[in-house]
Amino acid sequence: QEFRFGSCRAKGVDLQELWEAFWAVKDAVQAQDNITSARLLRREVLQDVSDAESCHLIQALLKFYLNTVFKHYYKRTVEFRTLKSFSTLANNFIAIKSQLRPSQENEMFPVTERARGRFLLFQRAFRRLDREAAVTKAFGEVDILLTWMERFYRL
Amino acid sequence: HLAQDTSDLLQHVKFQSSNFENILTWDGGPESTPDTVYSVEYKTYGEREWLAKEGCQRIPRRSCNLTVETGNITEFYYARVTAVSSGGRSATKMTDRFSSLQHTTIKPPDVTCIPKVRSIQMIVHPTPIPVHAGDGHQLTLEDVFHDLFYRLELHINHTYQMHLEGKQREYEFFGLTPDTEFLGTITIFIPTWSKESAPYVCRVKTLPDRTWT
Repeated sequence: QEFRFGSCRAKGVDLQELWEAFWAVKDAVQAQDNITSARLLRREVLQDVSDAESCHLIQALLKFYLNTVFKHYYKRTVEFRTLKSFSTLANNFIAIKSQLRPSQENEMFPVTERARGRFLLFQRAFRRLDREAAVTKAFGEVDILLTWMERFYRL
Repeated sequence: HLAQDTSDLLQHVKFQSSNFENILTWDGGPESTPDTVYSVEYKTYGEREWLAKEGCQRIPRRSCNLTVETGNITEFYYARVTAVSSGGRSATKMTDRFSSLQHTTIKPPDVTCIPKVRSIQMIVHPTPIPVHAGDGHQLTLEDVFHDLFYRLELHINHTYQMHLEGKQREYEFFGLTPDTEFLGTITIFIPTWSKESAPYVCRVKTLPDRTWT
């Protein structure tokens, strides 16, 4: 089984394992997010993403999750007993991201710009919130990310 | 959650989903009385506005069908119930974030078991669900879940079963004894979403062998 984000491939990751890791903490994490009227991974970020864009977008999102969301959420995992799931998700995100080789050719510039635009929508929504609330909301939206990633998953 | 949290009037507000039929259910608390009435609202995660569910305003019963309102399977929803007791006290409770794709359970498949002399044929029928594609046509479970497959078992005796498995709809167990009863079970599996249905069970008897009579 592998992910196929356009020309990018990411092997050796079991999507079911990611889901089960997130489901183990979903209700606890999402219950911490009281802002039901705001969503970071909105439709405009993930809807109708072309195959060519998908590799650039997933790379940016995984990088942000690893460097910002997981980094800041880590200290809360002990408090909310979510460390095991947290580690499974983080390690698998690292495994996927490390295999992605998005094309850097010039003619891809419009594609990378569209992908960047989508990512900036997400990042701006994140920055509009207080840091703690944003990190909790982003972690609670991993199921939105996994639902989108599932489209690119091949058994 | 909301300021007023009187769980003695209202409890366990949650979605129950099966084959994408999404029912909101709740319990009255110890203080709720038969004349307590309930009103339901729902919204898409990320939206500001709560929408009143027509047909579930000031109702005495403790369930409400939100299948249509929560029909986009890639969306995420919230619902909330407000209970008002005859004494005028009220309480409001919200569900967890709901995604039918994640939460729905899978009912047993619909199967036709056809006995022959030395074999039993099993035909699995597609499972329609209350979800429609962009062009309006009704989807099936098989349309939604790409890795869905069926697992079939035929119990020959207490210790021996025959197994078949796959995505196709027609299967046949061969090499059976004529005029003998067998128990068949057919289960749906969806690995990526860790979903498994209860088994459909059919008890069939192979036909007598009349070739030499």
